[in-house]
Amino acid sequence: MSQDNRYREIIKREMAKLKKPVKIRVFTCKKKQPSGSQIRECMDCGQFMALLRIYKENSNGMLTIKEMCIDENPEFAQRYDISRVPTILFIDNQGREIIRYLAAPQGGEIQPFVQALFTFAGAPNYYETTIKQNLDRIQPSTIKVMITETCPYCPQVAQIVNDFAIASNGKIRSVIIDIIANPDIGQYYDAAGVPYTIINDQKTLVGMVGAPEIMKALIGGNIRVQY
Amino acid sequence: MENIDLEKTYDLIVLGGGPTAIGCAIYAARFAMDVLIIGKTFGGLIATTHVVENYPGVTSISGQGLMEMFKEHMNSLNIPYISDEIRTIEKIHDHFELHSFFQKFEAYSICIATGSERKKLGVPGEKNYAGKGVSYCATCDGPFYVDKVVCVIGGSDSAAKEALFLAQNVKKVYIIYRGKEIRAEPINKKRVYENDRIEIIYETNIVEIKGDTTVSSVIFDNGKEFKVDGVFIEIGSIPNSDLAKRVGVKTNEKGEIIISRKSETNIPGIFAAGDVADAPFKQAITGVSEGVIAAYSAFDYVKEMNIEY
Repeated sequence: MSQDNRYREIIKREMAKLKKPVKIRVFTCKKKQPSGSQIRECMDCGQFMALLRIYKENSNGMLTIKEMCIDENPEFAQRYDISRVPTILFIDNQGREIIRYLAAPQGGEIQPFVQALFTFAGAPNYYETTIKQNLDRIQPSTIKVMITETCPYCPQVAQIVNDFAIASNGKIRSVIIDIIANPDIGQYYDAAGVPYTIINDQKTLVGMVGAPEIMKALIGGNIRVQY
Repeated sequence: MENIDLEKTYDLIVLGGGPTAIGCAIYAARFAMDVLIIGKTFGGLIATTHVVENYPGVTSISGQGLMEMFKEHMNSLNIPYISDEIRTIEKIHDHFELHSFFQKFEAYSICIATGSERKKLGVPGEKNYAGKGVSYCATCDGPFYVDKVVCVIGGSDSAAKEALFLAQNVKKVYIIYRGKEIRAEPINKKRVYENDRIEIIYETNIVEIKGDTTVSSVIFDNGKEFKVDGVFIEIGSIPNSDLAKRVGVKTNEKGEIIISRKSETNIPGIFAAGDVADAPFKQAITGVSEGVIAAYSAFDYVKEMNIEY
């Protein structure tokens, strides 16, 4: 089985387990043809949407993907500060952005993306209790995780940060960035190694870090745990 | 994505996330044991290896690819895995209580398969430029150095493999080794010697890593400054045995857990396997073997307890 087919099978198998509805928004860029029809203007958007369709088609109707053209939805794009396409957003019922993907959920990134869909839909979140117990010590935070497709540890960091964001009642926002696809972001942070995790553009965690390290960096001290 | 039952006393909790831990858990599951894996890093060190060519049954695969296969096998048996770190272990009556940063767990037996982590060079600049030119994982960070000049520090088989991987895309790789001849497996040594993009600098140590926002050079112990864009450090590993030591598990002078041929430690009910244990030859296949033996020993140990569920 080719690698692509293997990944397709993994998506198929995992998405079939999704039992609750979940909706994500994807910003792309379209331009009108003289005929009136629309084609996707951004180079990656077509492939990106084709990939996401595999998730949707295997979700038993549980996954809704709303594609939004950045030019046709300027207010929405402005509200969520969408400056590049394609961008995936997980937005909660109160309109708060919880997770942003500037990365294609393919290869090793399938698992954390599927996990994010499930947890966002209400599946158990291992870190929820501890995050809630420490919520008063967590400042509104954005955690950016720089990844590459070949990095074996990146999916784990992405998954932890996504789970933290989902458990935090909107206090934490997770941003997953493929820095090979978005080299300007990598250059801005002088990141030449992944996973590269940045909390509020201040604290940097380089390399594989586990949930305890991210949590400690987030609250700036020891974790309060009440079993 | 299995649900974790926090109320349950598991038959076996495996600590670790590499092939040893997964191999142990797969066998435990097949012995019908209630098993849970708690690991800081899924995949372990082998996940960073760009090519594995010595795992029987698989001619050639990336370390990450091999671990994905392990994960699929693990998932097919519904073995739960969580990313967390155990801080303390206490023996309470007939079972162990494990406290992590996030939860508390109970188990009748434990297998410590926490592996090892890369040794640091310990020179000025190494910490400051981590993620900014200093790397411990060519598979992760190789894509940043297309057409650039990098060096790999070390002379082991792993160092040779890192250099071979990097040479696919960089302009030049210098292997900087303190010894007189690299210690790679003959097949990899030959590949290194035949690769035009790889050059070996022998009997040389790095004493400093310099740069501005990112790495620009290294300083040799002969005082020479050598221009490089990236430094990949591959000088061996140290066992992750701090937790084991804290709970009284005996280790040797290298910090490796001393185990019997049945993967037993000095504490009944606590087993150990893989890179964290004291075997002289450490490979994924030997780790899996020890992990499997640990699973069987744990099965025997728990069976002897005659637990009423």
